[in-house]
Amino acid sequence: CSESGAGCWNCGEKAAFLFCNSCRSIQPVDDSVDYFQIFGLEKKYEIDPGSLEGKYKDWQKKLHPDLVHNKSKKERDYAAEQSAKVTEACRTLTKRLSRAMYIMKLNGVNVNEEETITDPTLLMEIMELREAISEADDSTSLNQIRSQVQEKLKQWSDSFVEAFESQKFDDAVKCIQRMTYYERACEEILKKL
Amino acid sequence: PNVGTGLVGAPQCGDVMKLQVKFDGSGQIIDAKFKTFGCGSAIAASSVATEWVKGKSVEEVLTIKNSQIAKHLSLPPVKLHCSMLAEDAIKAAIKNYKEKQDKANGETVETIDSTYLHGIGS
Repeated sequence: CSESGAGCWNCGEKAAFLFCNSCRSIQPVDDSVDYFQIFGLEKKYEIDPGSLEGKYKDWQKKLHPDLVHNKSKKERDYAAEQSAKVTEACRTLTKRLSRAMYIMKLNGVNVNEEETITDPTLLMEIMELREAISEADDSTSLNQIRSQVQEKLKQWSDSFVEAFESQKFDDAVKCIQRMTYYERACEEILKKL
Repeated sequence: PNVGTGLVGAPQCGDVMKLQVKFDGSGQIIDAKFKTFGCGSAIAASSVATEWVKGKSVEEVLTIKNSQIAKHLSLPPVKLHCSMLAEDAIKAAIKNYKEKQDKANGETVETIDSTYLHGIGS
């Protein structure tokens, strides 16, 4: 794995960003380390879920409170901070939508979350979708709608990859907006099931 | 053409809001209704917006600001986007109404032209 700029606070060795392999001490959070680096993943949208999960468990073992209780207060605090960051990183990279927003952010594109959407095509579709969810009474109907939404989510996720890798960031933002609405619709369905 | 529809969405949380206003012949809003899918604050904001636009003219409703809606509902900072969405819904509805009015006026002119041409022909 790559190393952070500073040396280990404990032994001065060029250190891993979470954990010093030389003296085995836990390092303070380094914000220059991105989420992909934490899990040893290539910085791209499509990732292998298996390796993410495996690496996540590895880190949690190293950072778990039970395993650091006999270390100094300093290291225990570092472990708590690192554990929180690892958890947030895993959550972010696991879901398609948050992973899309995160990788855009790494490329200097902050998806504008303030500007109101006025695209009638998108909004009319979503209004109809939400109405259908609202009116569906049984789990069969809800699961049917859910399957359709999941399929849409996958389609727009694929469109995002296409736009992102072509550096068409405006299109990528539109894909993320679509994904946001489908994710929200899925949440509403789950509430009713 | 006396009904304007505003359809807006919040990109961050996936709220969607539709607001419709109905005008009488003198340009006053005689009725308004909304349909919102979103959190409670978004629904409350669109409800307030609907009440506030009734009995007002175009110029008057465009003065309604999200800060007034937020204050009225005591919205916390994290929910301010809900009041912004309501303000944008009002603006979108008015814009839609004006577009319909312009279109209707255009048709009227066309009708006159047709009559005139027909007059020449006869």
